[in-house]
Amino acid sequence: MAHADPLGGGSRRREGLWLAGFSVPALLLVVGVQLFPFLYSAFLAVQDWSLLRSPQPKGFAGVDNFLWVLADPVFQVSVRNSVMITGVSVVAEVVLGILLAYLTSGSTWRLRAIRTVLILPMVIAPVAAGTLWRMLLNTQSGLVAVLSGTTGLPSPEWLSDPAWARIAVIMLDVWQWTPFVMLVVVAGLAGIPGEVLVAAAIDGATRWQSFWRVELPLLMPVILVAVMFRTLDSLLSLDSVYSLTAGGPGYSTHTITYYIYNLGLRNFDFGVAAAASWMFMAFTTVVIVVMFRLHRRVDVA
Amino acid sequence: MSADDRHAFPDPEVAAHIRMTRRNLLRLTVAGAAAAGVGTVLSACGVSSSPSPTAGGSGSGGKPSFAAGTTINADYMKSGTYDKAAEAIAPVFEQVTGGNIKISTNAWADLNKQNVTDLVTGTGQFDVMSGEWWIVDGFPYLLPLDDYVKRDNFGGDYIPNLFQPGPSNFYQGKRIGVPFSADCITVIYNSELFKNAGVEPKWDNWDDFIATMDSLKGKLPSGVYPHVFQFGAPEQPGSLFLAAYGGTLIASDNTYKVERDKALRALDVIKRLVDYGPPNAKSLSIDEATAVFLQGNAAALLSWPSFVRTVADDPSQSKVVGKWAVGSLPGPGFPLLSCWNHFISKQSKNPDLAWEWIKTYSNVDNGTEFMLKYGVGSPYDATYTGPEASKHAYDWPQCGKNLARAKPVPYSNDVWQLLYNNIGDFLTGSATADEVIDRWHAGWAKYEVPPSLIESAVGQGLKAS
Repeated sequence: MAHADPLGGGSRRREGLWLAGFSVPALLLVVGVQLFPFLYSAFLAVQDWSLLRSPQPKGFAGVDNFLWVLADPVFQVSVRNSVMITGVSVVAEVVLGILLAYLTSGSTWRLRAIRTVLILPMVIAPVAAGTLWRMLLNTQSGLVAVLSGTTGLPSPEWLSDPAWARIAVIMLDVWQWTPFVMLVVVAGLAGIPGEVLVAAAIDGATRWQSFWRVELPLLMPVILVAVMFRTLDSLLSLDSVYSLTAGGPGYSTHTITYYIYNLGLRNFDFGVAAAASWMFMAFTTVVIVVMFRLHRRVDVA
Repeated sequence: MSADDRHAFPDPEVAAHIRMTRRNLLRLTVAGAAAAGVGTVLSACGVSSSPSPTAGGSGSGGKPSFAAGTTINADYMKSGTYDKAAEAIAPVFEQVTGGNIKISTNAWADLNKQNVTDLVTGTGQFDVMSGEWWIVDGFPYLLPLDDYVKRDNFGGDYIPNLFQPGPSNFYQGKRIGVPFSADCITVIYNSELFKNAGVEPKWDNWDDFIATMDSLKGKLPSGVYPHVFQFGAPEQPGSLFLAAYGGTLIASDNTYKVERDKALRALDVIKRLVDYGPPNAKSLSIDEATAVFLQGNAAALLSWPSFVRTVADDPSQSKVVGKWAVGSLPGPGFPLLSCWNHFISKQSKNPDLAWEWIKTYSNVDNGTEFMLKYGVGSPYDATYTGPEASKHAYDWPQCGKNLARAKPVPYSNDVWQLLYNNIGDFLTGSATADEVIDRWHAGWAKYEVPPSLIESAVGQGLKAS
């Protein structure tokens, strides 16, 4: 016996029209603000177009722009700097973030107040944070130099020595974003059932064993999420380098994003900048895929 | 500027310009009467006369000559200098022309981006733009000004070389910019420290200068250094290189190249200079280096006088009031010229009013006035030879001489970046002098020299024949 369709064909069409009416504008917006620039940048990446040479694209360039970027020594330095700065920053943020989370987890008003104070650096605009640190590290009158002078410690040439300038960029990133890792881990800690820890204690686990064998594995999924966010964010960061070191001294703190910014928005070399952006996107996509795979493996475990 | 602001009682800064308004109004009345007379004669002869609203700079009889509500937008670097000067004269301009002006300000790094984006996208946000050689990407989109210049017989007051291609911006042989400021890097020295040390502040070339610094080294009080320079501002050592170099910057085959021997000598000079500065010499920004000099902790400062003069004469900010003077920059190179130009966008809907603004801003009276009030270097000859100059004998006359030999670089932004970033690597020990020159040549080989910059280089004697 055939069942009557509760929604007749007409009703279904009407519902479809309503759904389309709601979703098509949003879809058009997404196409307009995301897909079009995305496709246009792909078009630019294979065009010979530097504003200095021509007001219009001069024609199809094939893979020339990509080869230009790969052969550029500044790009190679920028990749090295980005990987180094991001790698060290993220590791430091995770270690310090977990430490701070353990020190401040809990729901008393004091702990909540401490956490609130600790997350303040996160709400400062990166460009302002960079400027602030530039002033702090001023070798003449900055707080760091003054404190070093008072205590008799030598103060390095923070922003004029390549190694110390890279350390300064890492310090800024760690200062600003460790609280993010802390917040994520605090949330993760709150989700660990107390019974598990009690069971571990009954089984004779020490505090360290309980952390290492029980809590850390349970926290691993949230830590990986934090690592993924921080890795991407640190790789994408431009404003802190821009305001703190301007990529210097020399090329010592040029990062990939700073390199692309210079190519595209200071030198208006659109074709090459688009090619560099696509290479950067391919690299970050690989990083995301690796992170997701790790995340899935940890989840399964 | 809101309408309320425009009608508010002028603040003292604006009030100072009212005398200019009166003078302008008087001129306009005379011009209007003359125009009316000429018009009557022409009418009598049967010649139709419908003068452009801007002919002679304004309408007849000093009445506003542009429709009320006609508004132009001008952008300046946010620096407390050019922008403040623009804001101060805006009420006068609006009163005289009847048009309105909106002054937009941006930090240097954003200004160029804003301008070029506006020009390329055809947005037409800015009618009047300010910039110089580093806006070269936007040159094709700027309005040729030759007709305006010719019609108003504009430009006779400038220091002659500043109105030529190079300091003045040209595109395809046509003038697209007229200067409104001029400054060049030079030596500013503390005359008291030199006198007490018994050393003459005199040098022709960099070897002389370094020998002078060497003489000072043992004779200055503790904590006072022979000189200070803004090595920590990434692009500034580039200006030092140009001062010490003295060769061509574009080869005969129209590629960017330096003469290796001269470049090696110039890089050596830069490195030697570091030894005569404070221990943190390599990290000092422009403001920090200036502060060292203003506190009396350096006998000489290599810098831009427009950054220094107003603060150096202010006792609340300076310990060198009455003790500083401008000297010449050693050779064989040239002082890098900063010569801001006004441009009009081809997208401007009111180019005539935009030109009126340029004329209001750029004249001898304002050049001298802005130099006094805001420290902006005047591009006009009369400023450096006129009566006001004698009151600033320690500064202005020498600045005028320096400007006469100053040059802009025929570089686009990418080429300039390669120059100064590699000097940065040289200063930190990350590259040798030979490696720096190899890197320059390898990097520059990727860039064509735009025709407008070849034109500039030829005009400045910076292209090999």
